[in-house]
Amino acid sequence: MSVSDPLALYGREFNSRLLVGTALYPSPAIMRESVRASASEIITLSLRRQNPAQQRDNVFWDYVRETGCQLLPNTAGCKSPREAVELAKMSREIFHTEWLKLEVIGDDYNLQPDPFGLVEAARELVNLGFKVLPYCTDDLVLCRKLLDVGCEVLMPWGAPIGTGQGLLNKYNLHMLRERLPGVPLIIDAGIGAPSQAAEALEAGFDAVLLNTAIARARDPVGMAGAFKLAIESGRAAFNAGLMLKRQTASPSTPTLDMPFWQQGEPLPQG
Amino acid sequence: MTSESKARIAIAGGGLLGRLLAWRLSRRELDITLFEAGDLSLPAGACWAAAGMISPLSELVQGEKEIYTLGLESLKLWVGWSKQLEKQTGRTVEFRQAGSVLVAHGKDRSELAQFLRDLHAKLGDLEKDQVQSLDAGALGALEPALERFEQGLFLRGEADINNHRLLPLLLSALRQQGVALRERTKVRCEQNRICFTEGEEQFDCVIDCRGLGAKDGIEGLRGVRGEVMVVESREVVLQRPVRLLHPRYSLYAVPRSDGRTVIGATEIESEDMSPISVRSSMELSSALFSLNPAFAEARIVETRVHCRPATLDNRPLIHNAQGQIRVNGLYRHGYLLAPAMVQQVEEIVTEQLLQVV
Repeated sequence: MSVSDPLALYGREFNSRLLVGTALYPSPAIMRESVRASASEIITLSLRRQNPAQQRDNVFWDYVRETGCQLLPNTAGCKSPREAVELAKMSREIFHTEWLKLEVIGDDYNLQPDPFGLVEAARELVNLGFKVLPYCTDDLVLCRKLLDVGCEVLMPWGAPIGTGQGLLNKYNLHMLRERLPGVPLIIDAGIGAPSQAAEALEAGFDAVLLNTAIARARDPVGMAGAFKLAIESGRAAFNAGLMLKRQTASPSTPTLDMPFWQQGEPLPQG
Repeated sequence: MTSESKARIAIAGGGLLGRLLAWRLSRRELDITLFEAGDLSLPAGACWAAAGMISPLSELVQGEKEIYTLGLESLKLWVGWSKQLEKQTGRTVEFRQAGSVLVAHGKDRSELAQFLRDLHAKLGDLEKDQVQSLDAGALGALEPALERFEQGLFLRGEADINNHRLLPLLLSALRQQGVALRERTKVRCEQNRICFTEGEEQFDCVIDCRGLGAKDGIEGLRGVRGEVMVVESREVVLQRPVRLLHPRYSLYAVPRSDGRTVIGATEIESEDMSPISVRSSMELSSALFSLNPAFAEARIVETRVHCRPATLDNRPLIHNAQGQIRVNGLYRHGYLLAPAMVQQVEEIVTEQLLQVV
């Protein structure tokens, strides 16, 4: 991948446009090999249920650190701004980073973000010096408010976490891209297939964050490689400029056997 | 070692592995000592907290083929070994090979399809007959308590063992066989030596089965937290282990003969032995409630927390050096893997002792 097209987030540049999670893998060893195969430089991890206050040495965390990636601790499972802020402070202390994937969950079943709590928590965390990457819905007004309180990067969902549905609300997502030019937008959650990730990059989104699609694949390492290629391909296509879709098929050579007055007509649909 | 004296074997760790290994080896002409840091009558490790499932197919979906293969071997061994143990002690261990049932709620139906797809992908067509899809009628006939589910899967060959009967029975078998039991003795394992705070003792072979207690000697060994609840209900009776599939928290429920059901689910990457969290107990309770609402009136009689010893690739390991063997990393597969691992260690011990002669 060309270094001349870096992903810039909070003043740092990254070559990879794929961010991956570290949960749900068959083993830590396969997790690390998958991270390597994905070429990701930013990885998320969760400490919500791990009783962080009680332990300083955790073999799993050490193993995650040894990947050398930028760690992006998340506040997965937090349902109120208060919880999220407290967990963020603990994460910063344990992982020595201001980077934070902010999650405030509003619905427990599909893990939909709570837009109101999210803005409140983001405001406070930005004031505390965190580099906040909020996991949000694809609502334009919410995204603007998150920018207003100081988030420099937004992570709208493609679809609910773990569903693998791809970009569900294309209208909203495309509008976000159009209305927020210059803001790094990372599609977070809902991506199930490399083609869906490529689609996001083709549409001008800056990066993709995913976990389940790789971790729960039959061969997570193989799937990590597949996503890497798809994302590179999608980005290259975006840079190269996609052709516009046409309403009718247009043969690149004239169809000699068709009278000229019919060549402007739509072709009969099979 | 001379031919007149018996070879001296030390086993460190009185959990499932240590007990099972001591029991197997004690059937041979060997002089065996079992060391345990805690109290043998109150096992503290993961083996006591576990539900005792022996489910090679269910574990295959989440893990490696190796676990499945070893699991099938163990399953065969359990059939014979549990009978031997029952004969020797005159009591039942409650080994039950009645299969296991998988269900999912309507919204999570795709979890069953994914399970089947993964299973077929990993096994090929060979052993498909081990898995049977159940409609509501077939499910109700097999597990009347699961009447609210429309479909499920039946894994015919799977089994479970009542660990709270097995572990004490193994202990009394060890006493009968004349195994020297050294409780409340913290040790360090070295080549041909067991070291205590106040000295050391020589052995022909030292076998380290200490689980997380062996952390200093095995790089990357970690504890993975699990939380378990035991409930008692007169209204709901399950016939066999049941798994409820869910995108985030899968529940298992294993019924015991005394009307109790052991339920568990959690896997947390943390070596944390603090009591069960409110969240976990709510998740376990609500998942159980969703199996059959009559579980609402069940009584929570016990909660247990434990850390399973796991390697970084989550596979079991055997280190074989002359005079010192290490077995570890059985992770969440203790009862699934222990017999197969014990058999491998028995073979290694035989080889080592032959070399000494």
